[in-house]
Amino acid sequence: MFWGWQSGLGMAGIIMAAILEGAPFVRTRWDLQDTDFERIWNFCTLLSLTVLIYAFSSNEEGGSFGGLFHGAEALHNATATTSRTASAFLRWLPLVFLMMIVSQLYSVRQRVPLTAVSLWLRRRKRREMKSGQAMTPFGSINLTYPYFVTCLFSAGIHPREFNDASRFYFVGQAALIAWALWRFRSRRFGNVLWCLAMPTAIAAGFAGQYGVWQLQGVIAGYNAQWMERLFRGQTDPRKSMTAIGEIGQLQFSTRIAVRLRTPPGQPPPAYLRQASYDNYRREVWFAGRARDEFARVPEVNQTTYVLVGGKTNTATVNIACYLNGWDQELGNPQGLVPLPTGCGRLENMYAYELQKNPEGALLADGARLLIFDADYGPGGTMDMPPGAGGSDPDLSVPTNEVPVLKQVMAENGLEGESEGQTLQNVRRFFARRFTYTLWQRPPASQRTNETPLARFLLRTHRGHCEYFATATVLLLRQMGIPARYAVGYLVPDRGRGGSYLVRDCDAHAWCLAWDANKKQWEDFDTTPFSALNAMDLLPPWQWMADMLSNGAFEFSKYRLALQRRDWRAYLLLALIPALAFLLYRILFRHGRKQQWRKMPRPVENLAWPGLDSEFYALERKLAERGAARGAGEPLAQWIEHVLRDPTPEDFRGTLRRALELHYRHRFDPNGLTALERRQLAQEAGAGLERLAELNGRHSG
Amino acid sequence: MVISFEDARATYQRIAGNIAKVMRGQSGSTRYLLAALASGGHVLLEDFPGTGKTTLAKALARSIDARFKRIQFTPDLLPSDIVGVSIFNQRDQQFHFHEGPVFTDVLLADEINRASPRTQSALLEAMGESQVSVEGERRSLSQMFFVMATQNPVEFRGTYPLPEAQMDRFAMQFTLGYVAPSEEVAILTAQEHNHPLEFLAPCASVGEVLALKEAVENIRVSPELKRYAVDIVSATREANGVQLGASPRASIALMKTAQALALFDGRDYVTPEQIQSLAAPVVAHRLVLEPKARFSGVTAQGIVEEILKKLKVPA
Repeated sequence: MFWGWQSGLGMAGIIMAAILEGAPFVRTRWDLQDTDFERIWNFCTLLSLTVLIYAFSSNEEGGSFGGLFHGAEALHNATATTSRTASAFLRWLPLVFLMMIVSQLYSVRQRVPLTAVSLWLRRRKRREMKSGQAMTPFGSINLTYPYFVTCLFSAGIHPREFNDASRFYFVGQAALIAWALWRFRSRRFGNVLWCLAMPTAIAAGFAGQYGVWQLQGVIAGYNAQWMERLFRGQTDPRKSMTAIGEIGQLQFSTRIAVRLRTPPGQPPPAYLRQASYDNYRREVWFAGRARDEFARVPEVNQTTYVLVGGKTNTATVNIACYLNGWDQELGNPQGLVPLPTGCGRLENMYAYELQKNPEGALLADGARLLIFDADYGPGGTMDMPPGAGGSDPDLSVPTNEVPVLKQVMAENGLEGESEGQTLQNVRRFFARRFTYTLWQRPPASQRTNETPLARFLLRTHRGHCEYFATATVLLLRQMGIPARYAVGYLVPDRGRGGSYLVRDCDAHAWCLAWDANKKQWEDFDTTPFSALNAMDLLPPWQWMADMLSNGAFEFSKYRLALQRRDWRAYLLLALIPALAFLLYRILFRHGRKQQWRKMPRPVENLAWPGLDSEFYALERKLAERGAARGAGEPLAQWIEHVLRDPTPEDFRGTLRRALELHYRHRFDPNGLTALERRQLAQEAGAGLERLAELNGRHSG
Repeated sequence: MVISFEDARATYQRIAGNIAKVMRGQSGSTRYLLAALASGGHVLLEDFPGTGKTTLAKALARSIDARFKRIQFTPDLLPSDIVGVSIFNQRDQQFHFHEGPVFTDVLLADEINRASPRTQSALLEAMGESQVSVEGERRSLSQMFFVMATQNPVEFRGTYPLPEAQMDRFAMQFTLGYVAPSEEVAILTAQEHNHPLEFLAPCASVGEVLALKEAVENIRVSPELKRYAVDIVSATREANGVQLGASPRASIALMKTAQALALFDGRDYVTPEQIQSLAAPVVAHRLVLEPKARFSGVTAQGIVEEILKKLKVPA
């Protein structure tokens, strides 16, 4: 009931309490075999799995069973984190395992065999049965204690952050635990002492808990500072740190970043752009204009967004990508969406919010996995045309790079008569004289004031895409052509059945050049293509990693689909027959019911002579005074142990005489004479009286 | 010869007192030893060299005025060196059997684990049935034939562990252990001029010992305690880490030695205490532990003690 009150399932709590506490008053008992317990356990496990899946797929507020079949709410609740799923599941636990505990309480055996609970033991038992070996006796377990703990634990997980009931949780839990411990209190100490000690322990526990909570607050304050750094790893729409000037091998993982699916017969887009930048300073590209705030993209209907209006999109591609960042304010996954060049319209986009910036970066808030259709075609893009913001950042070149650029232009005669000619020259210049490499040697001699870019252009002629893209952008700008630096993925043309995998190692940087005639940005990539094939070298075990990744992807997709289309009801309906079948097997075995009768103890134990001895009463009284006798401790040894405490001499004598007679009564096959038998009763009675007297004096 | 309970007890006390003159601080071990003797069992003493195993055996033999022989076991000892051999006498053209050291009352098999298993096994029949078969002829041994074997712990070099069947023939195995420093000083003082063993006079005859054995057989054991002894022994067969549990022979030995101990304690019936105190010396050496358990530090004695602690004792 406490659990019901705390977790907002009050009615269920009352019913459960009635069922469980009613057990001693109901005379009917089930005669359950090991296999029955195993079946019930199977049932409970399956049920808990169902609840787990259900909770996972819905992220629903526990307690509102009314909203069980409404899917619209579920989509909204998808914002909830996994912790909420877990808490909902844990809150339902007592209900799920109710069947198991009921079966124990209402069964003849009063204990659950361990083989039912442990799959491993069950298998061992089956193997032994098959081989006809002597059965190893397996223990049994009383499930009521674990169940009690589970209930307390579940009650501690509250559906809402602030709940009236939750304030009483600690008090209630402490009271319940105290009640449970009351039965096991030591008899050595008085009840008053126990009543004093218990609140002290509770207070100490509370103080400790409060201290930890305070400490957590302090640590969280420190935490926030350096946690922020961790979230810088993703593509940032405002700046892009390049690896230009770094020495050594660039490492890329082969993790799958984006999945593409195209309609049959249609090639995939060559590039997927995430962001572009216009300011280059010291090996870092910035999209640095003060007013470059992101603007919200309006949606046409719930799932369709138009990025560039009035445009005919000739091709479409289905993109699945992950949002790697985290929106601190809303608590959502957030990230830049890779888009094909000239993307004008997004469909089936289940994002909470889309924002774009003038450099053509699209920032999405949504679930971790984002799947949508992108329509694209040649023509206008959502990037802002150059020069729109007064002084043109798309033509600016850092002053320290200018001499080098001029030298390269003059030496190679890059400037053509027309823009087209110039672009041609630049492309040829890079294709002929430069090679692609991910490996940078340390420079043989360091020259002062030589930038890494200058070293690349004049001396090494070797570098990776960021070198090529940066050099191209700056060269074009130097020759009066507006250009930008774009970051994203190069789509590899290996693919099967219209689906393509883009990996982290396919990340690419290239140049956007402004075509003044068409008034639009064009992709202009000078990185030598032959070299790009080097990326095709995947390790031989890649298929395994891909398989795992694909599995996770399919599961996420399934989850998304569940949220959208409300398939959860079908899932539940599909599981109901299975559950019903298990329930049937448990309930309707023939002759299950049996009238409860007191289990007779094994006859053997009753047959021993002398169990009527009066000495046992004396032993019980003595045990209440001090340490009880262990199972393997013989009486005489124990009595000597008890007598080690200061005891009056006459009492010692009485005890020893009584014990001697008791031993003969019990263990001498000849037994006692009638006289001696009376003597034993007398001695034991005297001992009891003397003990009461001593106790009275002690407490007085 | 039937003697009363009191006479038997007096015999025990005389022998124990006599041995105590030589073996200082070993009254517990003496009690066990005499319990084995009185119940017709044999004893295996396992201890480090120099703790008084041989002295104890000699003291016992001298106290009883019985025939005493000693075999020093070595790797080249042969079975015929123990049971005896027939030798052809040229004078009368016949084989004559020369009795081996086994034809005695008290036999000390010193360092029994130094001989090869073949020789160790020569004692099997003698200990089990109190008879030997030599050249197809059965010869009975003395009525109070009693074997005390000593062995050094098996980890020592040049030893063969006793076979399980042989181990099972011993009613008890226990260790003497080192005595307290003050006792050791007393031992030094006693031996300053000569060994007290030399002055030990017999205090009981073989007949008295046989009577003691008979008296022990008359000690009563209740069915409940028989059941308790059986429960202890059968628990070893199911205990964790035990490859081979104790045999019914162990239950028999446990009951018989407990009877003897009850007599020593002045009772004419057995109580649970006697069974408990004897469980480890009587049962532990018969257990064969699983190698895994042995290497993890589990001892047979520990297993028996654990069983005693867990098993509900009749009270």
